[in-house]
Amino acid sequence: MKFSDETLLAYLEGNLDETEARAVEDAVTDDPALEARLMGLDPFAPMVQKVFEAVPAKAPVVDLPAPVQSQPSGGPFRLFAVAASVAVLAVSATFWATRPEPLGWAEQAAIYQSLYVPDTIASLDNSPQALDAQFAQAEAQLGRSLNREVLESLPGLDLKRAQVLSFKGKPLIQVVFADTQGNPFAFCIIRQGEGAPAKDVNLAVLSGLATATWAQDGYGYMLLGGNDQVDLDDELNILAGAFTG
Amino acid sequence: MGVEMNTEQAVRGAIQAHSKRVWRFGLALSGASDVADDLVQSTALRALEKHHQVTSNERLDSWLMTICRSIWLNEIRSRSVRKAQALSVTPEVELIAPGPDSETNIFATEVFTQVMQLPEAQRETVMLVFVEGYSYREAAAMLDVPIGTIMSRLSNARQKLKTVMQHDAADSAQRSGK
Repeated sequence: MKFSDETLLAYLEGNLDETEARAVEDAVTDDPALEARLMGLDPFAPMVQKVFEAVPAKAPVVDLPAPVQSQPSGGPFRLFAVAASVAVLAVSATFWATRPEPLGWAEQAAIYQSLYVPDTIASLDNSPQALDAQFAQAEAQLGRSLNREVLESLPGLDLKRAQVLSFKGKPLIQVVFADTQGNPFAFCIIRQGEGAPAKDVNLAVLSGLATATWAQDGYGYMLLGGNDQVDLDDELNILAGAFTG
Repeated sequence: MGVEMNTEQAVRGAIQAHSKRVWRFGLALSGASDVADDLVQSTALRALEKHHQVTSNERLDSWLMTICRSIWLNEIRSRSVRKAQALSVTPEVELIAPGPDSETNIFATEVFTQVMQLPEAQRETVMLVFVEGYSYREAAAMLDVPIGTIMSRLSNARQKLKTVMQHDAADSAQRSGK
């Protein structure tokens, strides 16, 4: 059965009779897409979320025992970090050689991203375990949530990897996606620190990629398409709504 | 898989990254911020002890929330419940960050109070779905109930929250009508 937005909203507001409400609930049980639609329409969720998101005001202090043994140099994190920093270094070196003006983080990230081709991301391990580890690491570096649920449900984009990078000592997280044709797409967040100026969304083509950048509450954000023609509107609306601070 | 995941490091990272949401969930479960403090600490230690179990498809954030809830239900609930009931009558509204104006503050306080006064099952469901953004089916898995139960708990919670929203809408209409 197909439900209109009106019907779903009436369900959410408690204005359907019991039979109709039951029909919606039964349908949602078997239909994750309908569930996502229903959740997106719920006017109560953002209201409650806004009140509770700042609770507690500070991250609670957690007292953990020191690691029993420090890990030897292995581990995929280190590999990611090394691979990433080598790539950034190589790109930066080339760039610095040809252009004297200092670049912002967004330009640098766009250059790095412009080297991605479908093959770069085709064989990435995006199993839940791999993503769990990457997100835990990235969120710990960044000091905030990456709203993984939002990133995993972007229409037409398959979440491939979250990678920790760094720009001038600031943690920079690159989240890579594949679009339906397997082309790379990316979303980057940098922690700029308290007092960094907020910036409205700015659309630009950087290094041949359509980009949207904005900044708020000490974090900078950038969305990068696979070429200069990509329409970023849909993703931008969702991400700008989800990453408000 | 050729690469062995460093699960301890991943769990430590997850504890740091998700401590706020675990605390909020602890608050929703217990209704009291001092119990939420204890729950975060116990959850972190328990998660670290169990880090080598992290090989399944679970997400670490929901894994931590599940640990938190199990500690609450099995170890703390019975001795805190009287306290929680007492507190749920006067929720700790000072936890809310002050908003830009007093109307916003009043509204936030009402929403906070209303959520904290929901029955525990509704409160934990509201926290997971509305605040933390888990889908109905994710919340159903975490709370070990059918998805229909999640939806009906949310429906009941919405009915109670509706009164706050209607008051607020009426207030705004009144203000803009002046």
